[in-house]
Amino acid sequence: MRGRGHAGRAGLGAGLLLALAHMGAPTASAAQARSVSYYTTEQAQRGATAYQQFCAVCHGASLAGAFDVPPLKGRFVTNWSGTTLDHLFDYISKAMPLFSPGALTPAQNADLVAFILRENGVPAGRVELPATDAALKTMAFPSISADRIK
Amino acid sequence: MTGFDDNQKIRRPGLKRRDLFAGSLAFGTLGARGMWHSVPAAAAALQRTAASGTVPRLVPMRAHADQITDIKVCLRPFRPAGPRLDVERVGDKVVIHNYGHGGSGWSLSWGSADIAVGKAASLSPRRIAVVGCGVIGLTSALSAQRAGFDVTIYTRDMLPHTRSVRANGSWTPDSRIALTAPAGPQFAEVWEQMARYSWKTYRDYLGLPGNPIDFRDDYTLSDTPFDQVPEPAGRTGPGDYASTGMPRATSEFATYGDRIRDIIPAPELLASQDNPFPVAYAQRAPMMMFNFGAYGHLLLSEFHQAGGKIVIREFHTPADMKSIAEPVIINCPGYAARDLWGDRTLIPVRGQTAWLPPQPDVTYGVEYRGASALSKSDGLMIQAVDLNDVGEMEGVGNSFEHVDRAEAEKAIAVFENLFARFPAGRG
Repeated sequence: MRGRGHAGRAGLGAGLLLALAHMGAPTASAAQARSVSYYTTEQAQRGATAYQQFCAVCHGASLAGAFDVPPLKGRFVTNWSGTTLDHLFDYISKAMPLFSPGALTPAQNADLVAFILRENGVPAGRVELPATDAALKTMAFPSISADRIK
Repeated sequence: MTGFDDNQKIRRPGLKRRDLFAGSLAFGTLGARGMWHSVPAAAAALQRTAASGTVPRLVPMRAHADQITDIKVCLRPFRPAGPRLDVERVGDKVVIHNYGHGGSGWSLSWGSADIAVGKAASLSPRRIAVVGCGVIGLTSALSAQRAGFDVTIYTRDMLPHTRSVRANGSWTPDSRIALTAPAGPQFAEVWEQMARYSWKTYRDYLGLPGNPIDFRDDYTLSDTPFDQVPEPAGRTGPGDYASTGMPRATSEFATYGDRIRDIIPAPELLASQDNPFPVAYAQRAPMMMFNFGAYGHLLLSEFHQAGGKIVIREFHTPADMKSIAEPVIINCPGYAARDLWGDRTLIPVRGQTAWLPPQPDVTYGVEYRGASALSKSDGLMIQAVDLNDVGEMEGVGNSFEHVDRAEAEKAIAVFENLFARFPAGRG
């Protein structure tokens, strides 16, 4: 499944890289967000489980954050748009959960990114989000379509 | 320094957790050599206090757990070698670091900012960027403006959302600022420079409307004579920082307070008839403290009035600094530097404060049985300083930035119990 995902992404990655080179900063258009497969439904569901176990204690069950805790929706998109997904994956991998940084596996962290993308209105696709920097480097943080904001 | 001989060692740079317990450390020498403090006639002769028996009645603190309005948790950005103040190049940008001030960020902020801005000024830029809007970032930005630069702050969060305002907010310039050995003697010099510069700058903010900076009489209470209070072991495990990569004992933490005791009000032992508390032993020291609301808004107003600009932005890697327009950047991310800059020497030190409604008629603070209470303009602040008897090791390595209500209630109970017995005898 993952092997196929990477193979399928190769062309897409090249396209995105071209786009990045063209724009200077990587930004995926809404059209790209619709056509790119970022994660699968099953993966996001695994992410949801991990989120409730490790993340919800601080960020809240609805990802809304709190006065002292960053939300993982809304402003979160502004903060991460213009980057490639390896940055978010790296940050979660190294800094989170705050009370035990680096405790989760790469697969769990990729699942969490998938869940966060889902909660921000990015549609599921046919291919799982990879759990390596190299693969995620080719994927821009997606734009959020206004009609999918939850 | 009337009445003190030079050999006296009164370590009272401000509210310092070990002093709450280690009476022998803080006041033992005083007890042995400075007995005049506890003799009312001698004290009166020296005009140290009002005549015995005329001490004003203190308004009791209303400390009850059902009055909690807020509980704040922060992670102090502690670096064993002391704050990071070096200069680094990222692409064509010059990054001047200013982070990692442990439990002393508020206290040292102006002095540390002055050092960072001095380095920036030597490059003669017209514009300077500051990354971060906690107290270190804000004071760096204001200091840069005062030095004549155009300043833009880039930050993810404004001050009220930063870890800075989840601190204690009193003058604690050498609270978990460094470990003696890794910091070395040269840092002691830098520390003194920062502390003196900050102290003077804060004095400029005294007496202003809203009392952004204020003084409080801070009472330390003890059930046994201060010179008989055993110093807590203050150790959490074998070894030390050099052998384990983590501090293990209170004794490893640097204390520099003696270097500035010529400008910091000394503690004074109270004679029993002048002690308003229902506790056998008390001492009092005026302490500087920072009212977050009034002071934070004032700093921000000053920044804007001087033409400062704020850009809300989150940085993810050091390379992101290249996207900043200004050529010189003062980097003040606090604890976030651990991940943003990969600074693994940053050790989290958890701290929590509980806030009760403001009691403007209460104008003092109290330290007792491992807990601390301080009346501030934005609330009565109560903190479990060392309920676990581990001294400076309390919270070290703990990055659980989540409310522990039980801890807050335990600390509040210390004062609820104290003031249930208040006033003592004559009050």
